Amino acid sequence: MILDLHTHSIKSDDGRAKVQNYCQWIRTRNVPIDGFVLTEHRQFDFESDYGELAERHDLVILKGSEVETEYGHVLVFGVTEPLYDAFDFTSIGLPLEAVIEHCDAHGALAVPCHPGRPRVGMSAHLAEHGVPEGVRIVEIYNGGSRGGEDAVAAKMAEELGYLGIGGSDSHIVSHIGRCATEFPDPVTTEAELVQALKAGRFEAIPRQH
Amino acid sequence: MAEQEAVDEDIKDLRERFLNREFDEVTFEIDGSRFAEYAKVCGETAPKFTDPSHPDFQAPPTFVSTLVGGRNTPPDFPNLGGMGMDAGKGVEWKAPVRDGATLTGRSHLHDIYTKTGRSGRMVFLVTRMELFDQEGTHIANADTRTVIRERPRG
Amino acid sequence: MADTTVKTIAEVEFGGELPTFAPDTSIEATRRFGKHVGWNTPRFTDHEGARKEGLPGAIVPGVMSQGFLGAMIHRWAPDAEIVAIDTVFRAPVQVDHPHTITGVVTDIDEDEGTVEIDITITNEAGENRVFGTATAKLPT
Repeated sequence: MILDLHTHSIKSDDGRAKVQNYCQWIRTRNVPIDGFVLTEHRQFDFESDYGELAERHDLVILKGSEVETEYGHVLVFGVTEPLYDAFDFTSIGLPLEAVIEHCDAHGALAVPCHPGRPRVGMSAHLAEHGVPEGVRIVEIYNGGSRGGEDAVAAKMAEELGYLGIGGSDSHIVSHIGRCATEFPDPVTTEAELVQALKAGRFEAIPRQH
Repeated sequence: MAEQEAVDEDIKDLRERFLNREFDEVTFEIDGSRFAEYAKVCGETAPKFTDPSHPDFQAPPTFVSTLVGGRNTPPDFPNLGGMGMDAGKGVEWKAPVRDGATLTGRSHLHDIYTKTGRSGRMVFLVTRMELFDQEGTHIANADTRTVIRERPRG
Repeated sequence: MADTTVKTIAEVEFGGELPTFAPDTSIEATRRFGKHVGWNTPRFTDHEGARKEGLPGAIVPGVMSQGFLGAMIHRWAPDAEIVAIDTVFRAPVQVDHPHTITGVVTDIDEDEGTVEIDITITNEAGENRVFGTATAKLPT
């Protein structure tokens, strides 16, 4: 199954998409994905229940987060209340290695996103901070990438032995599914997503449309 | 972590001191020839936007963004030390802007928030100008998002 | 790709595409904008002057890009009233470089008579330079 692992809704300060419109768009336009993960900026949305919406459109809707570290932005999958209490999701200067340690301790996973992007991507900070401990997966295809950003990300991943995922980083409805990640096994919960990612059973899909 | 929390305290302080506090009032005499040119250069083809003789001649809704551009922050707002760049614009349209109208624009800071940047924080300021006509009717809001890339600390 | 205009909300389909619009991003256009509207500085009207500011060349003022988006909606639905438009400037729109604006309908509220539209300004390399959303009221 194919999931877009990096999306934003109106819950993010710069997101303009309603989740129901993502669902309607995917089905109306036959976007080739089976679901998506909402990774709102610097927060985790415990409140929203998208179960009914997911069922109505036969889609998997999962929740994660996009936090900000000294290495740039990082997706967090498998967020639980204990993990949310372990560090300040709202901070813009989290230490990446501490985020990874907290994730490991709570069955979650931290994945640096758009690592080839100036300013907010991991590769821009390697010279200053060195190679961080604990990174195993990075986002190598991002729907918002410009120029050679994805190539920089892929090169970094190859050199450092990281696996790669794909996500659209959509902020408006029509950008969802531009990049995604394919899993050979069903992924219907956040826990299954973390398990599949940790097992390395996935493949990144580059921009399709 | 403690240092980061302390850094964000300054944003909380700025929000408490400056959000929703009107800091500027400007009067605009609306010139139909200016908004007709704006319409044409932007690619509008409808005569109501481009032809002053049209009975419903009015400015394109986005024209009010061109009225913003003076003061974006209160006079006592601190200098955050970086160059401000235009990160985005928004318009809420409520009624047409006509040739010859006198509009009053009242500005306040609508939001202040931060994100990370390569060499420090990026502070986003959302300045909202509320526009009123001669009768005091609220005709539009024009938002400007300015991003300030702070210089590294220390 | 759609190439017709719509008059009423009943003609609008969820997921429907607006006619693609190629805005005039020429230096003549930004100079005309500068002369009649404002933003008459080298950053927008002179490639060499813009390069001296560290830019790759002159760029289109954000207010002008926002105007392109409004024009695109009116070309598609001449009777539409744009009640809200929100534009995010992700990267500069470079003067004298061809750009394309695409728009799609992402929500329809027949009770309110409004539609929501995603709009994206893309350069020749297919990079999103500006994106936005708009809410437009159409006759029922």
